[in-house]
Amino acid sequence: MRTFLLRRLLQSVPLLLGISALTFLLLQLAPGDFLSTMADNPQVSAESLEAMRRRFGLDQPWWVQYLVYLKNVFLHLDFGESFSRHQPVFQVLRGGLANTLLLAVAAAAVTWCLAIPLGVIAAVRQHGWPDRALSFLAFLWLSVPEVLSGLLLLWFAAATGWFPIGGMRDLDHELFGPLGRAADLLRHLALPALVVGLIPLASRMRQMRANLLDQLRLDYVTTARAKGLPEHRVLVRHALRNALNPLITLFGFTLGSLVSGSFVAETIFAWPGLGTLTLDAVRAQDQYLVMGSVLLASVVLIAGNLVADLMLAASDPRIRHE
Amino acid sequence: MRSRELLVWVALALLAAGCGGGGVREKPYVDRLPLPPDTMTVTADEVGPHGGRFVVGATSSPKTFNPIMSNETSSNEILQHLFISLTDVDYRTQADIPMLARSWEVSPDGRTVTYHLRRGACFSDGRPITTADVLFSYDVVMDPTLHPSMQDALVMEVGGKRVAYTYSAPDSYTFVIRAPGPDALLLPHAANVRIVPRHVLEPAFRTGAFASRYTTATAPESLVTSGPWRLKSYLENQQTVLERNPWWFGVDARGRRLPYLDQIVFRVARDQDVAAQMFHAGELDGLDNVKPEDYPRYEADARTKGFTLHDVGPSFNTNFVFFNLNRHRRAEQGRRAGDPRVEPHKFAWLGNRDFRRAVSHAIDRAAIIRGPFYGHGVKTWSIMTSGNPRWYDSTLTAPDFDPDRARAMLDGLGLRDRDGDGVREDAAGRPVSFTLLYNSDNKLRESIAALLQDDLARVGIRMIPTGLDFSTLVTRTRHDLQYEACLGGLGSAVPSDPGMGANFWKSTGITHYWDVRQPPGRPDTPAEARMNALFEEHVATHDLARRMATFHEMSQILNDECFVVWLPTVVLRLPVSSRFGNVQPSPMPHRILWNADRIFRRSAAGPG
Repeated sequence: MRTFLLRRLLQSVPLLLGISALTFLLLQLAPGDFLSTMADNPQVSAESLEAMRRRFGLDQPWWVQYLVYLKNVFLHLDFGESFSRHQPVFQVLRGGLANTLLLAVAAAAVTWCLAIPLGVIAAVRQHGWPDRALSFLAFLWLSVPEVLSGLLLLWFAAATGWFPIGGMRDLDHELFGPLGRAADLLRHLALPALVVGLIPLASRMRQMRANLLDQLRLDYVTTARAKGLPEHRVLVRHALRNALNPLITLFGFTLGSLVSGSFVAETIFAWPGLGTLTLDAVRAQDQYLVMGSVLLASVVLIAGNLVADLMLAASDPRIRHE
Repeated sequence: MRSRELLVWVALALLAAGCGGGGVREKPYVDRLPLPPDTMTVTADEVGPHGGRFVVGATSSPKTFNPIMSNETSSNEILQHLFISLTDVDYRTQADIPMLARSWEVSPDGRTVTYHLRRGACFSDGRPITTADVLFSYDVVMDPTLHPSMQDALVMEVGGKRVAYTYSAPDSYTFVIRAPGPDALLLPHAANVRIVPRHVLEPAFRTGAFASRYTTATAPESLVTSGPWRLKSYLENQQTVLERNPWWFGVDARGRRLPYLDQIVFRVARDQDVAAQMFHAGELDGLDNVKPEDYPRYEADARTKGFTLHDVGPSFNTNFVFFNLNRHRRAEQGRRAGDPRVEPHKFAWLGNRDFRRAVSHAIDRAAIIRGPFYGHGVKTWSIMTSGNPRWYDSTLTAPDFDPDRARAMLDGLGLRDRDGDGVREDAAGRPVSFTLLYNSDNKLRESIAALLQDDLARVGIRMIPTGLDFSTLVTRTRHDLQYEACLGGLGSAVPSDPGMGANFWKSTGITHYWDVRQPPGRPDTPAEARMNALFEEHVATHDLARRMATFHEMSQILNDECFVVWLPTVVLRLPVSSRFGNVQPSPMPHRILWNADRIFRRSAAGPG
């Protein structure tokens, strides 16, 4: 187990190095730099632009910039400063990451809390009307673009006044009690989590249904039934447990991709997450902030996969990581 | 079953707690601090009560709270409330008005200003503001390693060399600044420097860490401000809340301390449609950017929904087309120094002012106003639009819509449709065709570009609009110089004065769009040489009539040469909740909250 973890950690180092090099190269290939936008301001002279370019080190060739970056990372664990904010990048990204993870977890809860029971219902009542109706609705949502479903829900919030229109807290959040704050957060979280969470619902539900149907056809289920076990025990104790295994792997993968999966919803619902931060950084070509954000997303993805493997081992006694 | 019921009840209770939490009681305002000896009486239409808050939408949150290192709009529009300068600009008249300096004298040669500071003015922590702080703020701005971009305002080119302004403080309440040469905009230039507290920031400045002070990570209570407001809270990409500075020296006509409002809140709504939804739901009290196509809808809703759609007048922002008239400055890429950047056969007509005038004649500006502007636009023939009462010049002439004239001029240039395909060709049979770059994020410019394409096709010019992302566009038009034509625009400086546009007017400037950064003293055309001289004269005199005359002449040269082809400007209308008084939106940023210190809420009853 320990060697497995160590090996995975060591594997991730060259991976992250490759990602960082590629990101840096792509940033350099994009035309212009952080100061390009400023060059459009008639109040800023060419001399000032040059002075700033020197101060940020942007006057160096790109590989020199990258080597200096690597040196600072390895020797001082210094991931650079955001040009626009004059702050260490992780100080900037910290809050955004927490908010994105919160949204991701809530969305995952929406997906799985719906996908598993609905998938089971669809499998048990295969080809019955609940199966058809659920599939129809889930695929309908899957085929509606996130932007549209997001705006529809916003319109719903505006029309009913039941939910706030975007943001993460009420203006008076600080004045609420602890219960009020939690409720305020939930009210703000509900719609974006629904938009992000319902998208993968269709596929997860169909996977759950298919897995369970496969299991139900196997001999051990017939044996269990023949033993005279009640149907719900056959279903929950035996078939469901085996049917969940492939979904656990999927769950791990979604952990990683959820961080990037909520960018659109973050923009529409003004959710202050990593997506908005990264988008701003990319547009402004705030290069070390982009680097930090990409590395952070990669680490979350790698960690998500690792968690998936560990969970799989925990749920299936046949799998052992040596 | 029971546990499920319980869950439902808990959920309902949570919801109720969330909704019920909105009823926050507001404490009545009591001014506990003594007023300073030198108060500043602010004139406003109405005297209002204290209390309440104003929530305005913002497209993104500030990147820094350091007023000297800040470089972009979302930070600057908040910092203008937190830090003051020696003087300010009246947004209605564009005149210089007192701020930290209660009065000043300009020397007869127009190069020296002596400011007299207000006695008893305090920072938000109660420490007095003296010339020590003013000197410190200037030292930071002029620091060669920090090199903030606002340093440009305090550096003047004299005899080809960049010379800095000098400043001194004879005593704690007298500050003197001297320009190296005559400077018509000495006061606005000096007002670029916002006053920061020396007692907080000097140690960081001495150790070279000034830029990383007053960031968004700084605790609000340790952010000491000089303006009417101080920071209450900041949440990245959510909201920035400002509360009144209890030490502020501004008072209303009855001598009561300003600001009236308890708080102003900048809420992030990145998407314009979402911001509109939030405004309709009452979550925002005003919008500082509304699409002209939505004006009728706001007009219809104004009465029933309790807001006013203010007529702000023509925007100060301009739209124009410019052509690539840049040249190679040294021999490179098989070209000699002085050769045009565009293909020589295209420069043969792009570089000809009659061709550019023909393009201007081909453009149906009324159609642009009817189309993308939905009728809410005005024709503009100068860098100063008709929204600017101080500098608008109605006597300027420029080639307006006259397609027959355009065709005749193109014929006269020898550009004819020789093969009957509807596109003109030059004598060698090469089609008159060019691409027009525009910022693809700007939907307005996108639709203008489409109309221009049709207009030009009608006179036999093939123009291909190409949308690019903004930084690519800037790189191509200012650095790589690889483009043929570009649809661009200029925003407004504060004050909106032609003298603020040195980099636009002078041939050495980086925003001298059509031919940037020409070698000093050697402009490419005689017209630009004349414009350089006129601009020098324009900024060197305090005589307003002389400044107006030079502005007129250089604008007329610009139009005669058609260096830029002017397009219409949008007429601004902004919705603001009618619950607030003294609201006077302006075309200059921040359009709604520029006078936030005197905006008040009409009915103080009930939660916001």
